[in-house]
Amino acid sequence: MATDLRISNISKIYPGCIANDNVSLQFKSGKIYALLGENGAGKSTLVKILSGVISPDNGEVYLNEKNLKLSSPLDAKKNKIGMVFQHFNLFETLSVFENLSIDATEDNKSLRVKINEILKKYNFSIDLDVPVLNLSAGQKQKVEIIRCLLRSPKVLIMDEPTSVLTEQETEELFISLKKFCDEGILIIYITHKLKEVLSLCDEVAVMRKGKVVSVSQTQNEKVETLANKMVGQKLAKIKKKINISKNKDEIFKVKHLNFYSDDPFETNLVNLNFSVKKGECLGIAGISGNGQNELFQILSGEIITPNTSIIFRNKEIAKLNPKQRREYLMAFSPEDRISQAAVPELKIYENVALNNFKSSNFFEKGLVNERKIKEHSKKILSDFSVNTDNVELKSQFLSGGNLQKLILGRELITAPELLICYNPTWGLDVGAINYIHETLIKINDQEKSTILISTDTEELLKLSDRIAVIYKGKLSKIMPSDEVTPEKLGILMGGGSID
Amino acid sequence: MEDLLIRIEKRNDVPTTLYFFTPFIAIILTIIGGGIIFYALGFNPVEALKFYFITPISNLYGLSELLLKATPLCLIAIGLSFCFKSNNWNIGAEGQLTFGAIVGGGVALLFYNQDGFYILPLIIIAGAIGGMIFALIPAILKTYFNTNEILVSLMLVYVSKLILDYLVVGPWSNPEGFNFPETRQFSDSSRMPLLFEGLRIHAGIFIALAAVLVSWFVLYKTYLGFQIKVSGLSLKTAKYAGFKGKTMILIVFMISGACAGLAGVGEITGPIGQLHRMISPDYGFTAIIVAFLGRLNPFGIIFASLVVSLTYLGAETAQIFLQIPQYTGQVFQGMILFFLLASDYLLFFKIKFQNFSKNELRH
Repeated sequence: MATDLRISNISKIYPGCIANDNVSLQFKSGKIYALLGENGAGKSTLVKILSGVISPDNGEVYLNEKNLKLSSPLDAKKNKIGMVFQHFNLFETLSVFENLSIDATEDNKSLRVKINEILKKYNFSIDLDVPVLNLSAGQKQKVEIIRCLLRSPKVLIMDEPTSVLTEQETEELFISLKKFCDEGILIIYITHKLKEVLSLCDEVAVMRKGKVVSVSQTQNEKVETLANKMVGQKLAKIKKKINISKNKDEIFKVKHLNFYSDDPFETNLVNLNFSVKKGECLGIAGISGNGQNELFQILSGEIITPNTSIIFRNKEIAKLNPKQRREYLMAFSPEDRISQAAVPELKIYENVALNNFKSSNFFEKGLVNERKIKEHSKKILSDFSVNTDNVELKSQFLSGGNLQKLILGRELITAPELLICYNPTWGLDVGAINYIHETLIKINDQEKSTILISTDTEELLKLSDRIAVIYKGKLSKIMPSDEVTPEKLGILMGGGSID
Repeated sequence: MEDLLIRIEKRNDVPTTLYFFTPFIAIILTIIGGGIIFYALGFNPVEALKFYFITPISNLYGLSELLLKATPLCLIAIGLSFCFKSNNWNIGAEGQLTFGAIVGGGVALLFYNQDGFYILPLIIIAGAIGGMIFALIPAILKTYFNTNEILVSLMLVYVSKLILDYLVVGPWSNPEGFNFPETRQFSDSSRMPLLFEGLRIHAGIFIALAAVLVSWFVLYKTYLGFQIKVSGLSLKTAKYAGFKGKTMILIVFMISGACAGLAGVGEITGPIGQLHRMISPDYGFTAIIVAFLGRLNPFGIIFASLVVSLTYLGAETAQIFLQIPQYTGQVFQGMILFFLLASDYLLFFKIKFQNFSKNELRH
């Protein structure tokens, strides 16, 4: 029997963010559907609603025109909606069979028969009696899939299933998914990887900022068209006057930056080499999750990688921590304003004291010099037009834009030679974005350099002198930004190659 | 889809005054809860509560006992506040207390037949170092081997208790003690000076008060205190600011262990005067409640240690006058923590009933 899943006008609002804004979509069995979007676009929220983990504020879900009430994961199971999450829900120390028997309804004997049938049918080779911790990520995922198959699902939702898989395992997964699809299971495939969408799925829905922005047949799409839909290419192309000066000194030079992580949710970086000239803005584009986080932390000194050389103003700084790097006049503005760059529970002047460079005398002989910190904070508030002059205010009462101004002010008031920022205008309103863009242009005018890591193509084209794209931890060649078009960036961001 | 009837939202603005006032609410609720329990057991609740909370401190001896028991609780809780404020969950203070008492007690036994003004300071320092070393075990395992400090510090409690057990029945047992599991009595030079004749309250209380003042200064006026505060609120920020995270973990555990060790030494050189199996009625665990009831604030902790100390005394009086087991003390301690956590939940979150229109929801 054909399955028809329809979601209608789903909304979910979290304090400070609309995760799903009136989302309506329709899925029919016999096809593989992709749900595409950047991190934070609202995909996961939607999936959690479908699997009963959270309830929407508004909207309905219909399965074969029956209105489903999904108030717990159990309801989803009862209605034959199966779900494989990005993070596995398995007990590592129990065996595969024990894991599968936990929520099974059958007795152990018939369960084993049933599992073996599935293993045979789909050509999975998994030893049922080894502890899960001995399995590879791909095998663990198969265990999760078997758990769903045991309940003969009508709908199977896969949330970012390939983020922890090898190429080989990914291929195997795709073969299985196509098989399930042929058998009439409706498959919804959540991802931010464009190539996978094109090679696996029949139809693709793109989400951005909680809304569905496009639904289309994948055969009509290309990597770059999808990339542009995903990151929201606006056509305005205001550029700053490009400043690729011929003979300026290189102020910052990175050689052999490699990063390898055991954590499958981190991205490995492969041999990054680049340099930044005095007064230049180097833009690093890419869809989020391609290694930007790791790159930022290595550049700021939060992660120290062996055998990397980072030369800044003719000094080797690769082994220094963030505080020491600041002494050499580097400054950092991370992506996460609320839990990394600043602490909301702290007062403004305490947040200012986080950038404790030596000449500040914030802490003399280990003691807090409150007067000095407050004077310094007052100056930041007025110089960077933060809309308060009360340094005792807790930072949580600042709007995103004002908090970002405070952070940039804190980082810039020391007149650093190099500012590294990551998505500096993420989630801000137009006024604040303009202010921050102007500030970033101004520091380049003052012959100070910036590295701008951003997922916002428009911002990059507006501010950068040269641009490179990071994809799966590798950096493309660095291009002068007047030779770059959004289309070219789209291709590179999707893993394609140009010329 | 049906709308949820109840929604729970985080409150952004919690007034500081209310934050420090909720522990009082928790205490009042505990007293009411205790009254209900007494009533259910067939006692007159007012009478029983009077036996519990008033009788024990209605004379000088009682007041001295109150301070005597509050001393170790306060000292340990002060140490724990360093750990808890920086997101390090040391719950093995009981073990650090025991190990501090073992090391301090060992020194006291070395001098069992000697006199000298230098002996007591030596014992106190030895106890602090003992506690510090014992607290360094979970700290080092956490920083260099990524273990979970909650488990390690908790399990080490039993290790230290077994070491104590072995010592008092084995090598350190009193040769003239008829095989009782206890050591010799310490010499007078190894004992904390008593403050008043006939009362058990001893000079250890000054150590606790000094710890309060020093910890206030360190936590609120120094760079170390600032780093502890930031790390407690956001480890990501601490890393970004370039704080030396590992060193800080070691430091807070050492402070915490030293305080617990001092508390242990205070007990054995104060009221007890020797080593035996039962040197602490779980002060190290109860101090966790004290630390939170005192809002991890040094002066709050003084107050909280007095309240919790009273539950120990009340339980003893209740056992004598009402013939109920003194474990009711633990019931009261549990209730305090329960009500504190419950009022905190209501303090930090608000419960909204969904009877407003959907347009309002968008704000």
